[in-house]
Amino acid sequence: MHDVHVTHMMFGLDPTWIAVSILLVVYGIIMAEKFNRAVLSLLGAGLMILCGVLTQEQAVAGVDFNTIGLLTGMMVIVAISQKTGMFQYVAIKAAKLVKGSPLGILVMLSVVTAVFSAFLDNVTTVLLIAPVTLLITDALDVRPYPYLFAQILASNIGGTATLIGDPPNIMIGSAAGLSFFDFLVNMTPIIPVIFVVTLGIIWFMFGRDLHASEENRALVMRFDENEAIKDVPLLKKSLTVLFLVIGGFTVAHSFHLEPASIAMFGAALLLLLQTFGQSLHDKDHAYEGIMAEVEWTTIFFFVGLFIIVTGVEHTGVIGMLAHKTLELTGSDFNATVAAILWVSAIASAMIDNIPFVATMIPLIQDMGSTFGGADALTPLWWALALGACLGGNGTLIGASANLIVAGFAQRAGQPIVFLVFLKHAFGLMLISIVISHVYLYLRYLS
Amino acid sequence: MHAKDIMTTDLVVCHPEQTVAEIAAVLNEQSFRMIPVVDAEHKILGAVNTLSVLSSLVPSYIVTGDLESIPYAPDIGLLRKHYITLLNRNVSEVMEKKPTIVHADESLLSVTAALITYDRFEYALVADADERLVGVLSSSDILKRLAKTPHENSDDA
Repeated sequence: MHDVHVTHMMFGLDPTWIAVSILLVVYGIIMAEKFNRAVLSLLGAGLMILCGVLTQEQAVAGVDFNTIGLLTGMMVIVAISQKTGMFQYVAIKAAKLVKGSPLGILVMLSVVTAVFSAFLDNVTTVLLIAPVTLLITDALDVRPYPYLFAQILASNIGGTATLIGDPPNIMIGSAAGLSFFDFLVNMTPIIPVIFVVTLGIIWFMFGRDLHASEENRALVMRFDENEAIKDVPLLKKSLTVLFLVIGGFTVAHSFHLEPASIAMFGAALLLLLQTFGQSLHDKDHAYEGIMAEVEWTTIFFFVGLFIIVTGVEHTGVIGMLAHKTLELTGSDFNATVAAILWVSAIASAMIDNIPFVATMIPLIQDMGSTFGGADALTPLWWALALGACLGGNGTLIGASANLIVAGFAQRAGQPIVFLVFLKHAFGLMLISIVISHVYLYLRYLS
Repeated sequence: MHAKDIMTTDLVVCHPEQTVAEIAAVLNEQSFRMIPVVDAEHKILGAVNTLSVLSSLVPSYIVTGDLESIPYAPDIGLLRKHYITLLNRNVSEVMEKKPTIVHADESLLSVTAALITYDRFEYALVADADERLVGVLSSSDILKRLAKTPHENSDDA
């Protein structure tokens, strides 16, 4: 791992220091949240090239286009399908299935959030479910906090379940060659356990406060989910493509297809179907609208981040860190899995889990030689995925979805206070990591 | 011409400790758009209008546009639920605390300027030197006055 070390000096400085400084400064400013993270990561990436740490060719090779393609493709599909109103439909249907019972609604909306988050991005899910939740809690005359709190946790827990649920999983799957199916077999089974335990504790914490009069429950039953569906033909097209794409992910590996190809093809197909039969002018207008809804900030953030991490990787520092980590764990596999799980969880509760995972990936890859090849590393990848995704539940700033929900709560006049959330959530996050630890131990280590 | 020359002096007023239910009845029955709120000494405390009642009925996350059109919600049910709760509240909780206030001897130019600057109200409350309410002046009072003949519109009228 030391053969990649760049030996020549630049501006009289060791390139290792330049690369590490760029990474630390960029991560530091990202954490301070004073500037747009995409701009910062692109500036950092540009500096890696301008300072001579990487050539442009090396920088481009460092960008994981499988992650980029999968994210972009899913963003297009979601941008179109959310226009159908299907998310609101499902949320209202779920609330009515339990006859407007306050506790039942808490459970149902959490389940809906978790399931949607497993297949779509967490931010979009809460962006669509949280406002409907506020309407329903308003009708019930109950405090929205327990509902929003449960939704934040459900969204991060659900997102952990699949390859496409949360960006860290996409990055890990892509880097380690783990398929959608691998995630279904290895990650998905433990998620319902964590979800049920979390909801159980939430019920214990807030269950007493959740009462509604018959009159208010009747008001919830008067919500009309059918009115939420805005465009039935588009709904059919969206559902068809969503099922094709998710089905495609499941079997992709057997056909040697990468998830990005499936997501991008699905996106293109839905774009075509969406505007079928319209005039060329209307089509162009619709395409441009959808393209504008893709979160390019996130996409460019990823591009910049991949280049920054590649720069640091290139100098051999990450290899050295991997070596140090192994020294600390005594090259014991069980201890290394535990260390990655817990460090990832604590770190992701405090900092953005995306740059964290981007840095951890090459670090874990460097451990391959110690543990007998890349295939032996698989439990480490599950530890990283569980830690990074579930860790986001630890604090209000742990994941983007948390902040989105907090924004709604603020506007509803029921702000979620950072320390109150910490008090309720951090313990729950630790419990989810304990469950993950036990699961990893029983399944892969004993 | 001064505010006192065209203001309405035949006033219905209310007190801050009255309930919203009482005020809502007056607003509905008399088709008033605004009722001044005064204390025992007739000093101006604020004003309630139809919008100050309505604005307490809609949750703020709807006002800020987090939900579009909301066709699936039982709208009348939700609005009425808040309305019924609101009826028992005091006027002081819903009133506009900073209504447009002009003085009785202010010129119409300055009154008109005040009305178009504070866009919340179509009415200005007219106060005397001791800040007591003496009349009400609406934007349409001014327009109606302007529509009169040139002869009647001389400055010394």
